[in-house]
Amino acid sequence: MRGCIGASALIVALPFFAMAAEDAVVIAPPPEGSVSVAEGLAAWGRIYEVASHPRCANCHVGASERPMWSGPSYGQTRVHGMNVMAGDSRIGAETIPCRTCHVTNETGGNAMPHGAPQVAAAWRLAPVEADWFGKSSDEICAQLRDPARNDGRTFLEIADHLGHDVILHWAWSPGGGREPAPYSLQEHTNDVLAWGVAGMPCPSD
Amino acid sequence: MKLKVNGTDHEVDVEEDMPLLWVLRDELGITGPKYGCGIAQCGACTVHMDGVAVRSCQVAAADVDGDITTIEGLGTPAAMHAVQEAWVEHQVAQCGYCQAGQIMQAASFLDLNPEPTDDQIDAAMSGNLCRCGTYVRIRAAVKTAATKMQEA
Repeated sequence: MRGCIGASALIVALPFFAMAAEDAVVIAPPPEGSVSVAEGLAAWGRIYEVASHPRCANCHVGASERPMWSGPSYGQTRVHGMNVMAGDSRIGAETIPCRTCHVTNETGGNAMPHGAPQVAAAWRLAPVEADWFGKSSDEICAQLRDPARNDGRTFLEIADHLGHDVILHWAWSPGGGREPAPYSLQEHTNDVLAWGVAGMPCPSD
Repeated sequence: MKLKVNGTDHEVDVEEDMPLLWVLRDELGITGPKYGCGIAQCGACTVHMDGVAVRSCQVAAADVDGDITTIEGLGTPAAMHAVQEAWVEHQVAQCGYCQAGQIMQAASFLDLNPEPTDDQIDAAMSGNLCRCGTYVRIRAAVKTAATKMQEA
């Protein structure tokens, strides 16, 4: 049943190698009514810091088929090198599959500076609807609470999704000298839960 | 560790994180795949893993998943792959260092996308660098190979 994860804590085991230090995500939403709108907005602010961070946003490029290279590792913001186009498939099947370089890796990722990051899943762009690159806090907030654009997910399902998608986990352990996304996967999950219990408020409400 | 390369089974005793390119060249003596950069920036080491192009410098030995094909196993002088035939027809190679990777990339691309547009050919081949700058001939050869494969 969707949306019935409930208040009991769920432990989501993560199969990803790099999560050894934090190898489980606890889905423990605060009790209903316990998070004020102000606290929810504060949680949203931190969620936006994560969503807009280059480790997340570079592949949330909406209708574009070009992943971005932005952030401290890259100097100026630019499109991914090598004329990479992920196509309608979002995995590059029409030209060169992302996994030609971002090889699916079960054994340890790729921490080599300037090498191609790898995870234990097919490397790909985020869905078109999850269009975040360069967008404002309000715009992303409105998208994330809109079932038409968040794959029909409740906040509990968004949190659960964070625990299961290993390509997201890479953002906190990117290796190769790349700056990780802020906070931690667990803290980010907690913020999503607090924001949800507060009613998914957005700054311009 | 077991792996199948060009139809032949091999047993190699290597560290799990040894790049496939090292396994091929140094352990098995298969030297068609070339070392260029070691960080997936040049494409010289491209081989097929389960039929799809991969940069063998980026594949840890323990992550090899499926049969490996190198340029040595793509075709023979007597029975060349359509991409190899086109390479000869257009006299693509200059120094030749990148061509094993170029050909393996093109063969995998045409397998995935048998009717590519010119833009798709350019995009698919953009990750393979050629220090001699033979890109015009590479593009022409890939187009010729695509046409031949569609007629076959």
